[in-house]
Amino acid sequence: MIYVIEPLPLWISVIVAAFLILGGLIVFIGGLGLLRLPNFYQRIHAPAIAITLGAGSILIASMVYFSSVESRPVIHELLITIFVFLTAPITSMLIMRAAVYRDLQDGKIDYSKPSSQPFPVEKED
Amino acid sequence: MPFVGSFIAAFMPEDARNREAWLASFIAVCGLVVTLWLYPLVASGEVIRYRLEWMPEMGLYFSLRMDGLAWLFMALLEVITLLVVLYARYYMSPKDPVPRFFSFLLAFKGSMVGVLLSGNLIQMVLFWELTSLASFLLISYWHHRADARRGARMSLTVTATGGLCLLTGVLMLGHIVGSYELDDVLAVGDLVRAHPWYVPTFILIALGAMTKSAQFPFHFWLPHAMAAPTPVSSYLHSATMVKAGIFLLIRLWPILSGTSEWTWVVAGAGICTMLLASFFAIFQHDLKGLLAYSTISHLGLITVLLGIGSPLAMVAAIFHTLNHATFKASLFMAVGIIDHESGTRDMRQLRGLLHMMPYTSTLAIIASAAMAGVPLLNGFLSKEMFFSETLHWGYGKWMSVAAIVYGIFSVAYSLRFIYVFFGKPAQDLPSQPHEPPRWMRFPVEFLVLCCLIVGIIPGLSIGPMLHLAVESVLGTQTPHYSLAVWHGFNTPLMMSIGALALGVVFYTVLRLFANLTHIDKVPVFHRFSGAQAYESFFLWLTVGAGRVETWLSTRRIQPQILVILSVAIISAAVAWPKEVKFDFALATKDLDPWFALLWLIGCTCAVGAAWQAKYHRLRALILLGGTGVITCITFLMLSAPDLALTQLMVETVTAILILLGLRWLPARLSPKELNIEVPLTVWGRRSRDFSLAFIAGLGMAGLSYWVMITPKHETISDFFMLRALTEGGGSNVVNVLLVDFRGFDTMGEICVLTIVSLTVYALLRRFRPAPESMPLPAQQNNLADPAIRQTPQQQASVGYLMVPGVYLRLISPVIVLIAAYLFMRGHNMPGGGFVAGLTLAIAIILQYMLAGTTWIEARLILRPGRWLAFGLSVVLATGAGAWLFGYPFLTSHTTHLTLPLLGEIHVPSAFFFDLGVFAVVVGSTILILVALAHQALRSHRQPGSTQSDYQTLKELN
Repeated sequence: MIYVIEPLPLWISVIVAAFLILGGLIVFIGGLGLLRLPNFYQRIHAPAIAITLGAGSILIASMVYFSSVESRPVIHELLITIFVFLTAPITSMLIMRAAVYRDLQDGKIDYSKPSSQPFPVEKED
Repeated sequence: MPFVGSFIAAFMPEDARNREAWLASFIAVCGLVVTLWLYPLVASGEVIRYRLEWMPEMGLYFSLRMDGLAWLFMALLEVITLLVVLYARYYMSPKDPVPRFFSFLLAFKGSMVGVLLSGNLIQMVLFWELTSLASFLLISYWHHRADARRGARMSLTVTATGGLCLLTGVLMLGHIVGSYELDDVLAVGDLVRAHPWYVPTFILIALGAMTKSAQFPFHFWLPHAMAAPTPVSSYLHSATMVKAGIFLLIRLWPILSGTSEWTWVVAGAGICTMLLASFFAIFQHDLKGLLAYSTISHLGLITVLLGIGSPLAMVAAIFHTLNHATFKASLFMAVGIIDHESGTRDMRQLRGLLHMMPYTSTLAIIASAAMAGVPLLNGFLSKEMFFSETLHWGYGKWMSVAAIVYGIFSVAYSLRFIYVFFGKPAQDLPSQPHEPPRWMRFPVEFLVLCCLIVGIIPGLSIGPMLHLAVESVLGTQTPHYSLAVWHGFNTPLMMSIGALALGVVFYTVLRLFANLTHIDKVPVFHRFSGAQAYESFFLWLTVGAGRVETWLSTRRIQPQILVILSVAIISAAVAWPKEVKFDFALATKDLDPWFALLWLIGCTCAVGAAWQAKYHRLRALILLGGTGVITCITFLMLSAPDLALTQLMVETVTAILILLGLRWLPARLSPKELNIEVPLTVWGRRSRDFSLAFIAGLGMAGLSYWVMITPKHETISDFFMLRALTEGGGSNVVNVLLVDFRGFDTMGEICVLTIVSLTVYALLRRFRPAPESMPLPAQQNNLADPAIRQTPQQQASVGYLMVPGVYLRLISPVIVLIAAYLFMRGHNMPGGGFVAGLTLAIAIILQYMLAGTTWIEARLILRPGRWLAFGLSVVLATGAGAWLFGYPFLTSHTTHLTLPLLGEIHVPSAFFFDLGVFAVVVGSTILILVALAHQALRSHRQPGSTQSDYQTLKELN
């Protein structure tokens, strides 16, 4: 796997690097959130952020980089973005439904008082 | 030609009785004309030969050969065919599926012609087997009747076993002679007789002939074969097919006869058959049964004549074959008419038919008189020749005694037969008999006329043809004989007359004193029931096979795997080469820590999957998915994007399909949950299995590792790398390898794939899950979940699955596009038919999952079967297409097409091959999916009843 890295113009490098670092940071924070947040309904947001923002940043970096390298606008990544935006919510929805179901089964959500505690705070394990 | 006719006949409509009959008679007439046209040629002593290359490199030719003997039998066959077809036209009821009948009949005729005309022994055996097959199909024509099925099975078993013996015998004969051509074989009789293999060869061939001609002890199938429609009985089982054995014996007479083995075996079997069968025949109550046994006895008579071995006996044998065919076929047809008109064949009921159907009765009486050997009829002549031959036999007088006894018996059963025509007309018949249609009677008339003509002026009518046949068999040995009615007062005549008189006396005695009509069993000999022996033998065989199976085999897969693995491990340990050294330094050199970590995760997943597989299948499946993903990443890191892509798709599809299947497996509870102690023996067994599995896995890993560290010689991959673009026309080596270089492999693989998916479908179609997994799972029964108040359809259309469903419906065209893209680029870039097929299948699977089976099948017509068929046909057509251009199967070709919109694309023929692969993959995946999905539908349809079933089961326990 040998990539010949041609020297990029500085400003391009800066943009690409900035977006990559930003994306990396966001994904890292998302991962941290997944690990640290106390409650499932809060945890589910962490990967969502990672997917949308983090992947978005990295994809922008990729677009800029390849457009510069190939000297033409490369926008394949837009397609990836669209697909990610389309599929990620489905997964989240189904996972959340499973969680709601589990809590209903365990009696952690009481349907008779819908407004009292819509998102119960789980105890720390 | 008869085969073509058979094919055409098979496709004619059900009620085309006339057209079928016309077609069949046309073919018979053509055959007859050709045969007659060849008469002058054959008569001049010439042997007509025709030869086609069949497998020249193996010394096999498709050769036809016609000499006098074959000509005579051919003429007989054609005439009888014509008559039988005419007769069958009237005999078969309009309700019967006639196309099948005529189709089988013509197929039989074709194979019989093949037997008669074959100039090659192997080819003759082939046609011989075909006659057995046609006979089987014809006997079982009324396949709704148990006796027809039983008789057909019996006849096929016996004759096919004989055919096998014959094949072996012929192969040995061919080995002795060094050629399978009949001409060569016939020329070297002395060599064959002197050869040490003579006895086994002869016995095997004789077995073939005797099973076919229903000789003792194989005679029992013929009476049971009478369950066939009467035209068939008269055609196959008296006039033609059973004569094939006789024909074979006559054909090989010049090389096999003349030894004492020949005489004892052939004549011995013949005498037993002749006496036993004629005795049996007297005590039959069914007209057809009587005729069947008399047929057997006449065949026995011919066999005896052949066994005697003198040239004159041969003349008598051929002559009697002809005579028997004429009178017996006519008798069968007459019986068929009687059965047809009166509705019964029981001789205890039938009486006085002479008054009701005088014409037919007269014909039948004449024919049975010929059967009994009354003077001025053809049966008399050949029987007299038989008597005179027995007198000249060199092994004592008892042969003549046997002949006279036989004569008495045959007269007796003929009288028994004739008796139905006399007396007071019976009143209690199922239907009122009357004369049959004019043309139904015609075949009988014609044949009886033949009997008379031959019987009165034998020298003029049949003489030349008989002479022709005899000469072709005997050659220079042809004796001087005279076919005349009157030879003066000599011993044979006395014997004839004596037999006639004694037969009449014997019958009268039986009738008056032994109460013949009320005996159900054949006296003395009823214990000699071949059919009983046959049935018991097969019962024994079945039971024995069952026992052997229980001893040596098992239906459980665990012991099988245990044995296979143990044997593999032991043999590997024995064969383990000493010089194998595992150089682990090579593996740890240049170790990428990230890669190692990845593999650690993968291996953990795999071990975890194995750990959880017993009690927590879902966990195991998820862990398995983890391993799959790691494998996929590994492929990517080792720059095999093709494999990575395929792996990903395979993992996805597998996971989903297994997930669907898991629902039907009953839950397994660990011993702790059940509060039971696991006995020590079980622990022992498990440890044994575990260590075995461990050793096997370790061995496989070691083997792969060894292969990888062994220094590379010149491998085949270099060849593929070099040739892929130039010869396969693609730069994606993996794909070119699959669809071009090893296309035949791939073809086999997709066939396997098809078979597997069809099997899964077939198994699941009638699948009844275990009672404990019948009710809805707890997750779908929990009232806490609001979704359970909705039907699956509602869940999908307005419930919680609506949003994902709509989203995915949006995406699926894109997935289809990706599949198309992967497919199109497959030959040069990562992709290909297999991946594309899986991708498309995933699109459909997703729809099934989110929109529900009912919804999707109401909108999308899937037909996985057609996908499979289309794929396989395309693959075959592509492969066979190479033949059109004179290349071997599956040779690929590349062209470049310029299309208006897409620009230049290159189209290798492998492209179409890949298309087939694609279709098969899509079809088989969907087929399995549909099978699983419908399983879920079925159980949802009747939860109430299954619930109650479950409860009753619980109460019972």
